[in-house]
Amino acid sequence: MMLSLKNISKKYDDTTILEDISFTCEKGDIVGLIGSSGSGKTTLLRIISGLETPDSGTIKLNNEMVNDKLLCKSPEKRDCSLVFQDFALFPNMTISDNIFFGKGSIKNNELIQELIKFCDLENLLDRYPHEISGGEQQRVALVRALSINPSLLLLDEPLSHLDNDLKQNIRNELIKIFEKVKTTTLFVSHDIEDAMTMANKVVVLKDGLVEQKGSPSDIYSRPLNRYVAKLFGKTNIVAASHAPKSYHRFFDEFLNEDAVSIRPHQIELVTSKSLKYKTAIDGKIISKKFYGSFQEIIVKSEELSLAIHLEPERKIKIGDKIKFCMDL
Amino acid sequence: MIKNLKKNHFLLASLLVLIASAPISAQINLYTHRHYDSDKILFEKFTKETGIKINVIKGSADQLIQRMISEGKNSPADILLTVDAGRLHRAKEAGVLQSINSKTINKNVPSEMRDPDGFWYGLTVRARVIVYAKDRINSNELSTYEDLATAKWKGKIAIRSSGNIYNQSLMASLIEANGSRRALRWAIGVRKNMARAPRGNDRDQVRAVAAGLADIAVVNTYYLGILANSKEKKDRDVFNKVSVFFPNQNNRGTHINISGAGIAKYSKNKSDAIKFIEFLTSPEAQETFGKVNYEYPLFIENNKSDLLKSWGTFKADKQNLSILGIRNSEAVKLFDRADWK
Amino acid sequence: MEIKHVKNELLFKTNSWTFIAILIGLIIFLPISEVFIQLFNPSESWPHLKKTVFSTYLINTIVLTIGTGLLSTLIGVFCAWVIACCEFPLKKFFEWALILPLAIPTYVSAYAYFDILELSNPILIWVRENINLEAMQSLNSFFVYFFTILVLSSVLYPYIYLLARASFLKQGNQLIEAGLSLGHNINEIFWKIALPMARPAVFAGLSLVIMETLNDYGAVKHFGIPTFTSGIFRTWLGMGDMSGALKLAAYLMLLILILLLIEKKARSRARYHENSGSNKPFKKIILSRKKSIVTIALCSIPFLFGFLIPVFRLSLWAFISQDVIRNISLLSLVKNSLFLSVAVSLLTVVLALLLVFSAKYFQSKLTSFTNRFAILGYSVPGAVIAMGILLLSAQINKIYVDIILTGSLLILIFAFITRFFAVAWQPIDSGMEKNCKNINDASRSLGIPAIFSLIKVNIPLIKNTLITASILVFIDSMKELPLTLILRPFNFNTLSTATFDLSSQAQIVESSIPALCIIMIVAIPLISLNLKGKNKLQ
Repeated sequence: MMLSLKNISKKYDDTTILEDISFTCEKGDIVGLIGSSGSGKTTLLRIISGLETPDSGTIKLNNEMVNDKLLCKSPEKRDCSLVFQDFALFPNMTISDNIFFGKGSIKNNELIQELIKFCDLENLLDRYPHEISGGEQQRVALVRALSINPSLLLLDEPLSHLDNDLKQNIRNELIKIFEKVKTTTLFVSHDIEDAMTMANKVVVLKDGLVEQKGSPSDIYSRPLNRYVAKLFGKTNIVAASHAPKSYHRFFDEFLNEDAVSIRPHQIELVTSKSLKYKTAIDGKIISKKFYGSFQEIIVKSEELSLAIHLEPERKIKIGDKIKFCMDL
Repeated sequence: MIKNLKKNHFLLASLLVLIASAPISAQINLYTHRHYDSDKILFEKFTKETGIKINVIKGSADQLIQRMISEGKNSPADILLTVDAGRLHRAKEAGVLQSINSKTINKNVPSEMRDPDGFWYGLTVRARVIVYAKDRINSNELSTYEDLATAKWKGKIAIRSSGNIYNQSLMASLIEANGSRRALRWAIGVRKNMARAPRGNDRDQVRAVAAGLADIAVVNTYYLGILANSKEKKDRDVFNKVSVFFPNQNNRGTHINISGAGIAKYSKNKSDAIKFIEFLTSPEAQETFGKVNYEYPLFIENNKSDLLKSWGTFKADKQNLSILGIRNSEAVKLFDRADWK
Repeated sequence: MEIKHVKNELLFKTNSWTFIAILIGLIIFLPISEVFIQLFNPSESWPHLKKTVFSTYLINTIVLTIGTGLLSTLIGVFCAWVIACCEFPLKKFFEWALILPLAIPTYVSAYAYFDILELSNPILIWVRENINLEAMQSLNSFFVYFFTILVLSSVLYPYIYLLARASFLKQGNQLIEAGLSLGHNINEIFWKIALPMARPAVFAGLSLVIMETLNDYGAVKHFGIPTFTSGIFRTWLGMGDMSGALKLAAYLMLLILILLLIEKKARSRARYHENSGSNKPFKKIILSRKKSIVTIALCSIPFLFGFLIPVFRLSLWAFISQDVIRNISLLSLVKNSLFLSVAVSLLTVVLALLLVFSAKYFQSKLTSFTNRFAILGYSVPGAVIAMGILLLSAQINKIYVDIILTGSLLILIFAFITRFFAVAWQPIDSGMEKNCKNINDASRSLGIPAIFSLIKVNIPLIKNTLITASILVFIDSMKELPLTLILRPFNFNTLSTATFDLSSQAQIVESSIPALCIIMIVAIPLISLNLKGKNKLQ
């Protein structure tokens, strides 16, 4: 096991930041720590790196105890490396000085040279951080963090600064780098797409509590509650009685009964020719929005109001009466 | 030993090194409240005559005494020089001075101007006199310090704050002469007679008289000398508008104070220090004080300064000046009770 | 601070850095703690003081503080606003000229205006003759307070001017334009937007003004207003009662503490106002001819009173007393002053850097806690610190018999460090907070030894702050009087002690030469500081 957290708690004054957090990462895992702002995810990252001290709980890093009741290893002595949200490049040093500033980085010269080449930084080595672009700064920060060859790489919101276009590219680059160095990685993000595309394991945090952990696809299709379901994309939370056939249910406090999460694309409109026509539900389209690759309609049916995604070329209009079914 | 210290107490050891350079032969260390040209001239002359170098720290007498207390046995001070007797008495009480007995000094200094136990000796004399506006006041109207508290002077007196040592000493002499109850009543009376709340130094009181804000002022003769010889014409004009009156000539005499010196208890150059005081009390040094610094010599009748002569001779209070120190703290408290700021 | 945190730190985080930093912080605090300890010693004259003069000291101190605070704020904020936001002829000149009064220590200003009260004489005489004596006396007391406040404010207002100006410049024009578009005129915008936003800066400047006012001894003594500070001297030196004086000092510190708390509250409430400014420079309001003339006239008053008139008078006196130069060996005075101030400023900055770095780099709550003690010295009058040092060295003398602490240059420098530590600490602390926070986390995460991080990253990043801090300490050290007066070594005189020595012997004319030297030496770094501040904002 590369990283193991047990019952980590942290309070500032009287506000609870983290409560009883436990999870583990295996060697080679890429773990996404997902949560909205204020969920405590960055604090957790700083605790793992040693920059903050937890109030209680234990942390084992690469089979070595780094936090328990009587011990708090200082960050310099931990076998991990943190990439900061704003990169924290030393503005008074060139890129190459930045990269080689890490303790013992000279020993890893071969690896670093390879990474520099891989990340396309050869031509930037003599520049200063403010002279290069955001994406380039990101790569420099990453290479700098990897320069000490840590067992665990920590990234704080690696993509939050970037606009959508760039994000896509950088995400791909990151994935390529992760694949190449095969370092165990833990990153923090508020963006679910990051988690789904990059991580093989996701931990969802809300208000300092772990809501769910598992593989991205598992969480997507089998959320444990309304919050997680919604976090992973647009969905309809419907009382289980409306979808008797779906087997993944959870108790929903809002509806006060068992519920299911049905994604908008999982609802099918049925025509009279279909076999399912008999069991289908009646509804009426009350609004319609065009998104390019799909269109979203809101359908009202008795007390339900559901979002449904349809192929873009389908001809419908507001007020149409339709039939649909929610088989999963 | 120094090596050991250095290991353990680097800072302290380096201090030691710095200080180790202090006492070399044939020099004396002087803690002085005086900052006058006359002193500078006399120090140079003394060094020339004897080869003894004089190191000086200037400061207010009280701060210097505090410093001698905190330095204890290690104090480098040989002599403490002040501008009033009260502080010398306080230094004696604080145990930072030592008693000496020199025939020359005893001959040079009148007995009331030195400590009865030989802890300190006067060097120069200043009198606390009344100045009055020539054009508004007749000298016949003036008589004693005590008279200043009577209602006829209402709104006419300019006098500085009670924080000033010369006022405190005057008060001490009045307590000694009349008792503390009458002294308190005197202070209240004078406070009520003030033309304005006390402020500024003695020269400012004279200026107030010259400007017409007050009719009489209680000031130190030394400050009159400074005004009379000022580089600013304005000051000399001020001086020319007033005259000097020596109060209490018909009874105990005008209140005087001294500049004086005592030998530090832990002096390492005692014999040189005594030589120095002998020199300062010698007739020739006394003449320099008078001429350069408008101070009376220890034997007031020997005064050679033309300016001081022009004010006439006077009878000085013969009370031993150690009383100024003994009564000082009481004087300050009475001033506070009289609400004399 | 929670006990748990302390325990955590003691268990986990104590390393040689924090240990040394805590030790240095406590040593710097030592003289002040000496004063506090004395509080519990009985004082013979305390009942007397409480009965007679205490209320006078309190009232006078409060009147002076409020008066000087108000007048300084009025002048400082007005000048800051017109310089930051308006365009008029001579603006460039006033921009730096208005800072110059800061070069004049309060006692020098009081000497330069030693006879200012005489101005009121004709009025007083007229009142006495035409109304009555009582009216004249109360009018006289009024004049005393009025002129003292005037003299103090005229050299202290630049603290508020500097900070308020920076704040106005930082606000940017977006909000002002928003105000204009909502139909407010520029006056309303000043009162409703700009001033409230600048409030933290104004309060910070005001607290400096108040501290200097409470610290002043020379001016209040000269004008005959008994305050706490002059009371401390009177009780200590006049009554020979140190513990009584220290009790007064404790009350003074209590007063300062209350003021600091008020200031802190005012600041923290206003904190979230600060971030809203854009960095776009302010679009200057071009004043009409008539308004320009009024503005120039108003700006001239503080410059004239605070700088030009005193300097002019001192120069005149210096001219008629040139022969003094030889007597006071001016060159050695300048040398001593420079040596002392430079040594103090360098050492203070190095120590402050060390302490701030240790606290921030290792996120040591304990170090930040002891730092808080070390910066108390700035709110303690110099004379009180000197008393603490005297007490301290007397105690050390008992242990190490062979060592004299008083009267060595080192102890004098140590006293200065205690007094001015906050002056260096404050900018370094905020500079490091702003520039180095994440960066230090990054270097820790990269496993870099702290010393490397300090030398290679932190120092280069806050170089400008360090220079500013050392200039500030230098200026304060040049002006400081009581500390040197009480603790100076043999034959060691500085410009400030020479000024005081001469003027205390009623040789104000002769004291003008060293006083002028102080002003000139301080004015140069002051102007450079102003230029620096401006570059940073642009």
